[in-house]
Amino acid sequence: MIEVKDLSFSYTGKRMILKDISLKIEPGEWIALLGHNGSGKSTFAKLLTGLLEPASGSVEIDGIKLEEDAVYEIRKKIGIVFQNPDNQFVGVTVRDDIAFGMENLSVPREKMLEKIHFYAEKVGMAAFLDKEPANLSGGQKQRVAIAGILAMETKIMIFDEATSMLDPYAREELLGYIRQLHEEGITIIMITHDIEEAMLADRFVIFRDGALFADDLKERLLVNPELFRLASLDLPAQIRLANDLQDTGRLKAVKEFLWRSSFGK
Amino acid sequence: MAIQFREVSYHYPSGGVNFYQAITDISLEIAPKDEFICLVGETGSGKSTLAQHMNALIFPTSGAVEIFGSKITSKRNKKIKYNDLRKHVGLVFQFPEYQLFEETVEKDIMFGPLNFKVPHDEAKLLAEKAIRQVGLDETYLKRNPFNLSGGEKKRVSIAGILALDPSILVLDEPTSGLDPAGKKQLMELFAKIHRDTGKTTIVITHDMDLVYEYATRVLVLHEGGLVFDGVPEALFRRDDLQSFSLDYPETIRIMKLVKTEFDLDIDIYKQTVTEAAREIERVMLG
Amino acid sequence: MKNIVIGQYVPGNSYLYRLDPRTKIIGVIVLMTAVFLLKTIPQLLLALGLALVILISGRISIIRVLKGLKPLFILLLFTFFFQVFFNKEGALLLDETMTLSLASVAGIVLWTIVWRLSARMNRFRFLLLLIYLAGLYFLFVYLPYGYVLTSFPFRIYQKGLEMSIFVIIRLVIIITLSTVMTLTTKPTDLTQGLEKLMHPLKIVGIRSEDFALIISISLRFIPTILDEANKIMSAQASRGADFSEGRLKDKIKQIISLLVPMFIIAFKRSEELADAMESRNFVPGKPRTRISELVFGRLDILTTVFLIACLAGSIVSRVLS
Repeated sequence: MIEVKDLSFSYTGKRMILKDISLKIEPGEWIALLGHNGSGKSTFAKLLTGLLEPASGSVEIDGIKLEEDAVYEIRKKIGIVFQNPDNQFVGVTVRDDIAFGMENLSVPREKMLEKIHFYAEKVGMAAFLDKEPANLSGGQKQRVAIAGILAMETKIMIFDEATSMLDPYAREELLGYIRQLHEEGITIIMITHDIEEAMLADRFVIFRDGALFADDLKERLLVNPELFRLASLDLPAQIRLANDLQDTGRLKAVKEFLWRSSFGK
Repeated sequence: MAIQFREVSYHYPSGGVNFYQAITDISLEIAPKDEFICLVGETGSGKSTLAQHMNALIFPTSGAVEIFGSKITSKRNKKIKYNDLRKHVGLVFQFPEYQLFEETVEKDIMFGPLNFKVPHDEAKLLAEKAIRQVGLDETYLKRNPFNLSGGEKKRVSIAGILALDPSILVLDEPTSGLDPAGKKQLMELFAKIHRDTGKTTIVITHDMDLVYEYATRVLVLHEGGLVFDGVPEALFRRDDLQSFSLDYPETIRIMKLVKTEFDLDIDIYKQTVTEAAREIERVMLG
Repeated sequence: MKNIVIGQYVPGNSYLYRLDPRTKIIGVIVLMTAVFLLKTIPQLLLALGLALVILISGRISIIRVLKGLKPLFILLLFTFFFQVFFNKEGALLLDETMTLSLASVAGIVLWTIVWRLSARMNRFRFLLLLIYLAGLYFLFVYLPYGYVLTSFPFRIYQKGLEMSIFVIIRLVIIITLSTVMTLTTKPTDLTQGLEKLMHPLKIVGIRSEDFALIISISLRFIPTILDEANKIMSAQASRGADFSEGRLKDKIKQIISLLVPMFIIAFKRSEELADAMESRNFVPGKPRTRISELVFGRLDILTTVFLIACLAGSIVSRVLS
């Protein structure tokens, strides 16, 4: 469980990137963290794992307060898959990269070999263990990143625009794996600006200009188009169409259908 | 015809272990004005390779590309100044902001014209014109490109190519990595430049909604071959898009769902949500 | 993006591939030392023969090793001529007078033009160079017609020839040994071998694990960086940058237009990579377990015995001669 209280952050001390963010995330939830470019989403992710130090406020994960020494404990609980598939691939081969996290946790070698195989299978990369990153596609590299994080027995995963550098095919594939992770009980925080992607989540957390603008189940927020407009976000096309249709007789059924189908992906 | 491809194929390298056939037997013609073409296809279908033939960055391994009269084949022709062709066909790569390197925006935009021996003063004027064309004002000229936002950097690098005043503009996945608002802004910019100057614009993209909204012509590449060359709507009327790893634009997808669910005789080929809404109302209400 | 560098790893299957990289590193050092201890040409020829035996029994393609020698050919040639011309000991083997006359100058110019024109064919460069040099020799010696500008004696002494042959064979053996090592050892294994061997440096405060990590990450990114360099060159070329032509001033600008973006990308990459590594629990200095293991086997022990024997043999032959 993640508990954030009045979290604020600034690089320079003058301009606040994040202002007084407070929220709670329960285990197993799938959250879409939405917001325009520069609203502070990636900064928030880095604050959660102690990659950045807050100006004020607190982060508590599974009862552990995020402080200087506790950073290392916290990082065992949260993993981040970043946007650029190349700039998070450390190992010389797929096997080495999945091993990296475990090596850092001093996992014994035999156990590592077992886990690598297990988690590589999970993301469909078992046949690629000896391949070098130069011979992998962006989507494959992202899947290796997921395997590497899972191998550390992490239960909370943050995806920071992890699909934005992938083509539509690879994106669908990756989202499929994320769906699988959710079914297995992993807590998912998906940072994205793609509303269609966000519709896979249960709950939307919307940032605007560094502040928490909205935080609720998606169906409760989607009925409010003005909210999305103010946050510079699109609504899913089906909902936009439903909203544009007149509210008379038979059209009501179409509106309802469109509404339901936007959730159904 | 400005650019002509005649049975162009390209593979690299010439034989050996890493052999890869990128494009095969492509034949097409591109007019010097007014076309707004979208080049689509899955990753690895050869789009970037094809684009790089258009400004002679790559020579075909077989076949010929004719660019404004200069014939490019696999053999280097001493009489052709290949570099000059890049004045006429401006190619903007994906993530063009990475090409910025000068201390000021002005100097960076001038880099192109100066390479083509344009006199310094004239190059300055071209830079001023180009920065305005991309929707930024002249105060940007003296600024350091590295202090700009991501979107501003993209525009500056596009200005760098516009300053060459190419007749044809080729843009490789220009909206990659941008959020929906950014995508819209950038595409509107290209549409405006296209309207104002009439330059033939070729946009490589994965985004079928973009294609539906802006393109007058679509080229579809699949596994290195050209499988479709025509108007967007003709492409979307086909039912085999999946075999090219392509999807339909979202409005068409949604209209198809509505049509099937409610057994309506609607015209599913509507480009905007508004048009789609009106069509559904038309059929359902009267 | 496979690059051709001297002695790059080529997959294979022989005992050389099965040796621990530490054995190979130490082996190269020990054998090089042994070679340097030798004093006569016959001894060196024996060492060369031994090197060939190692090559052939290890199923290494001799052609590949020769290719590794190619870039150093100029060095070998220079060494040869240096020794030949400047060593004036021993019996006089060759005594000719070389003259530089108008006729020979004309001849040299003509001959050089012929060489450059034919060199365009590209295929027999090495052979053509030899023919050119031979032709030069004859022009200098046998064309004393017309006004003589200068003349000088050209002498080759026995010692000079001997020394040059000696030095060249030694160089060839050393290059062969190191090429064999890099051909049969993956860069990552080499890095790990070096890391383990340099472990004792901990006493001086140098942590070999850190260096090894730096090297392996650099290795991993080489293809990526080459790819990016190509992309940036293409992007700048699309703006008219011509990386092959132009005056010096232009060339410098072209290079800057490549380097600045490369640096910026590199900085961004290191920040993002550091974030990724830290979030995966990397702590510099903290002990880590390793997925890959280096294990000494029977083969390594046998090889060590062989190496000791070589070193001993070479010390003995030095003492005896």
